[in-house]
Amino acid sequence: MQSAHPGAWWVLGLALAVAAGQASSFVSVAVVIAIALALMLSFRTSAPWAQSARFYLGLAAFVLLTRVIFRIIFNGQLGGTDIIFSLPTLSISLGFGPALNLFGDISAATLSAATLDGLRLSAIILSVAMANTLANPRKLLKNTPGALYEVATAISVAINLAPQLIESIQRVRRSRGLRGRNKGIGVFASIVIPALEDTMDRSLALAASMDARGFGRRGNLSLGTLRLVRALSFSAAVTLAIGAYLLVAAYGFGVLATVLIAASLVAIAIVIRITSRQSVRTSYRKLSFRLVDWSLVAAAIAIALWSTTFATAFEQVLRS
Amino acid sequence: MIKLTDVSFNYRGVESPVVTRANFEVEAGEFVLVCGPTGSGKSTLLRIINGLSPHFTGGNLRGRIELGSVDRTGAKPHELADLVGFVNQQPEGAFVADTVEDELAYAMEQLGRHPSEMANEIARLAAALGIADLLDSPLTSLSGGQQQRVAIAAALSAGQRILILDEPTSALDPEAAHEIISSLAKLTKDLGITVLLSEHRLERALPLVDSVIVVHGDGSVSKLAPTDALRENRLVPPVVELSARLGLSKSALEPDELRAKINAQPNLLKNISTDASALPTQPAEFAGLNALEVRGLSVAYGENLAVDSVDLSVERGEVLTLMGENGSGKSSLLWAIQGSGERASGDALSNWGETQKLSPEERLCVVTMVPQRASDLLFLSSVSAELEDSDRFAQAKPTSTATLFARFAGRVDPAVHPRDLSAGQQLALVLAIQLVKGAGVVLLDEPTRGLDYEAKRALARIIGELRAGGHAIVLASHDIEFVAQVATKVVVLEKGRIKAQGSPVEILGADGLLPSQVSVALGQPGIISLEQIRGTQ
Repeated sequence: MQSAHPGAWWVLGLALAVAAGQASSFVSVAVVIAIALALMLSFRTSAPWAQSARFYLGLAAFVLLTRVIFRIIFNGQLGGTDIIFSLPTLSISLGFGPALNLFGDISAATLSAATLDGLRLSAIILSVAMANTLANPRKLLKNTPGALYEVATAISVAINLAPQLIESIQRVRRSRGLRGRNKGIGVFASIVIPALEDTMDRSLALAASMDARGFGRRGNLSLGTLRLVRALSFSAAVTLAIGAYLLVAAYGFGVLATVLIAASLVAIAIVIRITSRQSVRTSYRKLSFRLVDWSLVAAAIAIALWSTTFATAFEQVLRS
Repeated sequence: MIKLTDVSFNYRGVESPVVTRANFEVEAGEFVLVCGPTGSGKSTLLRIINGLSPHFTGGNLRGRIELGSVDRTGAKPHELADLVGFVNQQPEGAFVADTVEDELAYAMEQLGRHPSEMANEIARLAAALGIADLLDSPLTSLSGGQQQRVAIAAALSAGQRILILDEPTSALDPEAAHEIISSLAKLTKDLGITVLLSEHRLERALPLVDSVIVVHGDGSVSKLAPTDALRENRLVPPVVELSARLGLSKSALEPDELRAKINAQPNLLKNISTDASALPTQPAEFAGLNALEVRGLSVAYGENLAVDSVDLSVERGEVLTLMGENGSGKSSLLWAIQGSGERASGDALSNWGETQKLSPEERLCVVTMVPQRASDLLFLSSVSAELEDSDRFAQAKPTSTATLFARFAGRVDPAVHPRDLSAGQQLALVLAIQLVKGAGVVLLDEPTRGLDYEAKRALARIIGELRAGGHAIVLASHDIEFVAQVATKVVVLEKGRIKAQGSPVEILGADGLLPSQVSVALGQPGIISLEQIRGTQ
């Protein structure tokens, strides 16, 4: 079976990440994690970029554990009467202000808040991991707008170099053993330097091969268009910054902030559209958005909407 | 098709030019071999033609370059992408796609060809290079030879009329290398593609090319007919050398051709005298002194047996050579003998006991190894730093390593960065470092890879000295002519098992499993190497 469009996976992944960020109950977080894990495990292939799934699972677990452990250490006795277990309090006087109290009585409320926090972060990680595992970066590259193609290529090259670097390090490490030293200062450098040189050589060879096959060819934009593009991108950046600031600062400019951000996004879209015309590139067997992909996107929109609006209401109903 | 007029090139900060006033012309459909000693500037000359030098490598270009009778001096590689295809040494590092088909489409996509033309073009090239069955395969699943074919097809897919290849066969075994060069010859004949190929092992390409460009190393470049090109001592492959000793005015390029000439004029043989005893032998004083005993050694990777219960014994003063195709288990066997490599079962006993049980430092006193990429062992920023560090670590007298290195490589500027040494000098440096603790058993994995004929002769001399000094040497190599020069025993591996073993004359002789060029050309029993042949004039 042909996998869904990589773009659709990313839209879904980002929607799940938004949902996870908004989630304020265990149920919502659990739903997000369940969806991400189920998709990741059932559609995973043996491709190189899919090998990172294990790493992401580990990272998610690590983040969750760290969050809970830190909360137990920097407990702060935020209250709650339902104490689950007590640890001896460690009081550290800093010489100024109140003493810092570590450990102490751990209440169920503290623990569950920490777990929810940790799960929320893990859910965001797993959502991105889902997209990253299932979307073929090279196919995604074929469908990037012309203006972003060079950037996307750089990212794709970087993704491909990571496994090569690991392979080089293993090879050099094995060879280094032949000189009779496997430990001690300097061994790290002696492995990393040749391995990095190797990776550097390989990426240069790749770049030369791409250049020789026409990568980087582009048509010309007229000077007027070029000026328009520059002016538009600059103002879009400024507007976006102001909009984002207003949104976060919470002075009650919510509507204005939304309008500004929307305007800057439109401007960015126009810039990408214009500069893409410069590209001469075509695509062999370009992936089209099929029904499957549209349904994934629809699901993504539903999840995002649900998480930002209905979920809060739903959770309030649950609580009452 | 290609015309260079007064082209000179030098890298920034380097005074001596790599290429000085090169003038030559290449016709459309010509198959040209570019040769010269290692580091002479073959790669640079090739890269000048498609603009990678100076645009990619940096440097300063003067003169005029015409491609298809249009002045393209100073054009960037991607501007020439529809005209010149480029193939590198290691294809797997230069692939951009996942599958063969997408890889072939890449150049056409970049040049904005209409998607409807692409399928036809891909099918045509896949058929020409014999990869039509592989179109849907992932690139990583291909053998080295198949990968190189895909790289060639990908370099021609946008209709390029000129193909440039920089040592495309250096990582392949002789069989796969031969196939690649034959398919290049076919491309020039059937499709009229102009091909420029650089290659170390001239004997592979010489019989098939139309002309030869020699890069002399002092910056001068000359274009000659294949038979005239090889007067230069550093470049001469065995058949050409043998032709010269026989007194042929027009050199033969293939062993069979030379054999035919000798059959036609038996008088030629009067010009040489042969000495069957001139092959390397074990010095008498070391006879019977066992240095290494390998019993039932197996190496497994997952389910696959890379080495399957191999038995070997090597005495002091012997040079045992492991031969066989890529993947026949030569490297795995060497690593297992050294002791740090994986081993499923079996023993490798040195005079100090089982090598696997020795610590890494102890091993250096007993059994030492130079891996395929010798430069992996070098990590300091100058030759002198490497030499001093080696003395310190080995707790040897100062300059011990330097003395060994000088013996192997002659005088080398100690301030040079090890990466800037030639492949032969790097090998000598690593060998000196690895031998300073006095190991009696020396393991060499494909030591001739990337060496030109002169560097190979130097290496053969070093191996001869080690043998005379009582070292036991085990080396893995594809290079039949080199093996004929150095080996006292040959073992042929196939799929991890010993397929044949015997003296070099038995294996490399005319009736053997892997006959050398000299054996084929002369057909005299016991004569396998140029070392055994003297001119009588």
